[in-house]
Amino acid sequence: MLAYLIRRLWQMIPTLIGVVLLVFVLFKYFGSDPAVILAGQNATQAQIAAIRQQLGLDQPAWFQLWIFIKQIATFDWGKSWATNEAVSHLFATRMPATLTVMIPIVLLDTILAIPVALGVAYVRGSWTDRTLMVATTIALSISFLVYVIIGQYVFGFQLGWFPVQGWSDSTLTNLIVYCPLPVLLAVAVGISPQTRLYRTFFLDELSHDYVRTARAKGLSERSVLFKHVLRNAMIPILTNVGLALPGIFVGSFLIEFFFSIPGMGREVLLAVNRSDYPVIQASAVYLAMMTMLVNLATDLLYKVVDPRVVLK
Amino acid sequence: MLLSIQNLKVAFRMGRVNGEMVRAEAVGRGGESVSFDVPENSTVALVGESGSGKSVTAMSILNLLPKNAERSGQVLWRGKNLLEATPAELRALRGAEIACVFQDPMSSLNPVFTVGQQLVETLKVHLSLSAKAALARAEQLLQEVGIPEPARRLKAYPHELSGGQQQRVMIAMALACEPKLLIADEPTTALDVTIQRQIIELLASLKARHKMSVLFISHDLGLVGEIADHVVVMRQGTVREAGTTAELFSAPKDPYTKALLACRPSLDHNPPRLMVIDDYIQGRAARTDSKAKDPAAPVVLEVKSLAKSFFMKEGLFGKREFKAVRNVNFKLRKGHTLGVVGESGSGKTTMGLTLLRLHEPTSGEVIFDGKNLLALSAAERQLMRRRIQIVFQNPYASLNPRFTIGQALIEPMRIHGIGKDDRDREQRARELLVKVGLDGRAFGKYPHEFSGGQRQRVAIARCLSLNPEVLVLDESVSALDVSVQAQVLNLLKDLQDELGLSYIFISHDLSVVRFISDEVLVMKDGEVVEQAGVEEILHAPKQEYTRKLISAVPKGWQGAAA
Amino acid sequence: MSAVMNATAAEMNERSEGVWRAAWRRFKTDRVGLVSMGVVAIFLVMILLSATGVVARNFQQEVAVPNAPPSFLGARAAEKAAAAVAAPLTPNVDLSDIDPLAPRYAEWAEKAKQYHTTETVKATTLPLGADRLGRDVLSKAQKGTEISVFVGVLAALVATILGTLLGASAGFFGKKVDDFLEWLYNVFTAIPDILLIFAFAAVLGRGIGTVVLILGLTGWTSLYRQVRAEFIKHRQREYVRAAEAIGASSFSRMFRHILPNVSHVVLVRMSLMVVGFIKSEVILSYLGLGVPVDQVSWGTMLAESQAELILGYWWQLAAATVFMAVFVTAFSLMADAWRDALDTKLRGQE
Repeated sequence: MLAYLIRRLWQMIPTLIGVVLLVFVLFKYFGSDPAVILAGQNATQAQIAAIRQQLGLDQPAWFQLWIFIKQIATFDWGKSWATNEAVSHLFATRMPATLTVMIPIVLLDTILAIPVALGVAYVRGSWTDRTLMVATTIALSISFLVYVIIGQYVFGFQLGWFPVQGWSDSTLTNLIVYCPLPVLLAVAVGISPQTRLYRTFFLDELSHDYVRTARAKGLSERSVLFKHVLRNAMIPILTNVGLALPGIFVGSFLIEFFFSIPGMGREVLLAVNRSDYPVIQASAVYLAMMTMLVNLATDLLYKVVDPRVVLK
Repeated sequence: MLLSIQNLKVAFRMGRVNGEMVRAEAVGRGGESVSFDVPENSTVALVGESGSGKSVTAMSILNLLPKNAERSGQVLWRGKNLLEATPAELRALRGAEIACVFQDPMSSLNPVFTVGQQLVETLKVHLSLSAKAALARAEQLLQEVGIPEPARRLKAYPHELSGGQQQRVMIAMALACEPKLLIADEPTTALDVTIQRQIIELLASLKARHKMSVLFISHDLGLVGEIADHVVVMRQGTVREAGTTAELFSAPKDPYTKALLACRPSLDHNPPRLMVIDDYIQGRAARTDSKAKDPAAPVVLEVKSLAKSFFMKEGLFGKREFKAVRNVNFKLRKGHTLGVVGESGSGKTTMGLTLLRLHEPTSGEVIFDGKNLLALSAAERQLMRRRIQIVFQNPYASLNPRFTIGQALIEPMRIHGIGKDDRDREQRARELLVKVGLDGRAFGKYPHEFSGGQRQRVAIARCLSLNPEVLVLDESVSALDVSVQAQVLNLLKDLQDELGLSYIFISHDLSVVRFISDEVLVMKDGEVVEQAGVEEILHAPKQEYTRKLISAVPKGWQGAAA
Repeated sequence: MSAVMNATAAEMNERSEGVWRAAWRRFKTDRVGLVSMGVVAIFLVMILLSATGVVARNFQQEVAVPNAPPSFLGARAAEKAAAAVAAPLTPNVDLSDIDPLAPRYAEWAEKAKQYHTTETVKATTLPLGADRLGRDVLSKAQKGTEISVFVGVLAALVATILGTLLGASAGFFGKKVDDFLEWLYNVFTAIPDILLIFAFAAVLGRGIGTVVLILGLTGWTSLYRQVRAEFIKHRQREYVRAAEAIGASSFSRMFRHILPNVSHVVLVRMSLMVVGFIKSEVILSYLGLGVPVDQVSWGTMLAESQAELILGYWWQLAAATVFMAVFVTAFSLMADAWRDALDTKLRGQE
């Protein structure tokens, strides 16, 4: 186990280097000249040259890369070009908001997975099943945007059950007052793809031999389905949830955008519109690291779910 | 009578075509249906080739068939018709009075529950035992089926056990509630021949001790002859013949049964050609001609100290070496056949693939026509490909499903520049198809339209298109039915006589190897255990392992005059 | 041995139906699939007409009053009232003595006569209504369909080609090639999708070409994974080993032997990508990161519709949603039907 852990951590290093290189090359060779962006609309050449020198852009490429790496290692990202806020401070203040919204969403998704999976298995082959499939297809064809627009309009604006937008400083208030509408919308939209996916998992499992053995032992259909098949189907279901986990850090930028929630997603979106390179670069690199660590954690937990897994 | 099957017919609904429901008949064809009895305390064998409907018949007893199956007739269990039983009544029988053991234990056991959990489940459902009592009984059962350290094994997962042990666990699960009838659906087909012998003996002793009946489904007449009291022979959904084992083996009445008995290669006698079903049904006699083999023929292939290892990652940075093939030496003479025999894991297939450099060897030499095959340049290797070819085991996987037969045959000719143009190659391809016993019309068809045996013929034709001198046959007949196997073996012998081919015949089936080989190599764990002429190996084996292998082969019904 | 029969020349040359023809035959029996394919075909015709300029050419023109309702609702009463401005009761007061510009009015009136102005009568209703600038929603929806579907399909094509080539190389050659490509895959998937798209968008800017490039360069990973797994599986298969044994080259084995056996997987995944990329493009355009300002897509329509909804004008939202929903649903159902036709194992039988 320890050997596995060490090897995985060791293998993360080349990937991290790759991410750093990708971000660096992308922004340096494809992006606009940062000096021009920072100098603003009416800058003179002298001003631009001065900024360039200040940022170290007149140095050779490998030196700039070296500075870049140093910044990552020391968690010093300089300041946002737009707001002059320290990027690290930005992370610290925005991340909690994102997590306040995303963690309830992931929890609800996971908890709902089991009843959804059971329901799908129970009705398979019947008319309900087929209606469900058509309904989910149609539901999936409508953009998420439409759901949020209409949801906000109906539940927030017309019916007034929830505030249309807003955020407070207290986590509790946020959870009770401002989160429900966005969380409910996100979970509701997520049910359609989940239903279809779990249905596929179930049909796959039902075609395996051990199902026939369970029937041959005299178990009731309910027992076969909800004990034997479900337990096996949980493996791909939990894999699926595990894949979604790294996404909680960026959060749903759309939700944050619509509901004006001051989270990481919205921050990155604003940065893109303002060409605020330090924020985007930092987000990319740090979130990549978080993703890799979360993936490692889920892989380790995998052994609990699937006894056939051998970690070597 | 314990179980009486009367006028059983089973058909599968395949969907609607033009509004009409289309059905595929599996048991009972046309007007005929299937009837036979299983008395108390006896073993009844249901024998047939693929497509005979034997498995479907057995599964229909407890209605373990898919939802689109339709049954008619009567299945009388102690007088009660199971076809009219309610689901609850059937569930009460399943696992309690009638239990099943299936063919592939690895997939038949639930991979996420331990052995103990799966055993205890049956006990709880039918016998309402407490958890502790159930666990104790489970341990007892594991001991009875011969699993060492049963207490520890209760906590193991199926994938941690070997194939033989998994099958023992399945048997334990079946025995848990002391059933009156055990349905065993090809329980040993997926196991090595020595393990097979152990399982068969286990089943026989359990049957005697618990006084239960066994319905044993198999394609292997030899095996059936040893263990069954009654035999029912099925072909294409109908019963061809039924009777006691003695009757059937000593005086079979139906031509199909006779053919089935005769077309098996056996260890006892060695005909020049095997009888084929068609021959029997049409009353032809077996061919008796065969070319004698020249013991002093020139050596075409010489293998010296061949070895192949696979390296796997282990620990933090280390590598573990797995020696698949170690130090194999042999000489192959022109026109002769070298049989390579061994169980799974013996390295025989790896050795065959290494000869063609489909695996890169770790060390050793393969001398072919004066050159070392393992040290050739790329261009020379391409030339060598023409002269030494391979026919694989799985006929369903060795032909590209997207190529027509014609394309598959023309491709090798095109690569090596044989034939003037495509029309010339097409002509040759059609001739080859005729030579292997198919007709030229197969040229434009796809592999899925042909049976396993026919596909193997195409594979052989594909090799022949390059005019090879040596043919490696890697378990080429193992996946075929007995009668089809006989046809392909006869074909191979004919081609050898006609074209002077040399064969390396790899197989786990000693009887087949005996039929076709001149010399035999016995392999175990990558090493050559014994090597000698075929008669010598069979009648005077020197090594313990060879003896074990020979005695494990099912001999068929021995009877009074054996 | 089996008897060899005499056959006519025609029989000798008969060819059986291949995989695609057999699948087409199966597909034809699926009514839902056929209807969906018909709907997709209608959309394709509309897209063609839009692309060649036969319809929706003037979607930019403000041909109606702002927020004109759809025809089936009837023009707004207020509009009609507002159209008539109350006439003054008395003539205008003459201010020429204090008005500094007064001497020049006559001159300007002369000059004005040289310019020809067209007074377009603004329509009060349009088939599907108008947006806040008075542009025809129907034309916008048609043009938007062309743009959104075009981007989705092209991006899917780019991602498919990239993913297939890389996946095939990694799966077939293994070892060093596989290690390198795995590293590349890990790098691309370590960064969360949206972030990657945003990063690319930040440096490449707006525009149809860039959107296609962004989606294609970030979306190849899932297909890569699948193609790689398929190639690894097929590489061991005996028909590929047999091809190697007869001397076929690596290229031949990869693209003449294995790829046709994997193509149905690739096509199914590509159809999923088309749907996914269309939805991504809509979101990108909504956020202002997608199509340029002078173009319209379903996303830009949705962006405008949010403000309109508060005022009670729902037709642009409805038009964009319905067009998108119908197309995507039809496309998904058609792709499902094709997948079932290509997949010989019957699902839903159990």
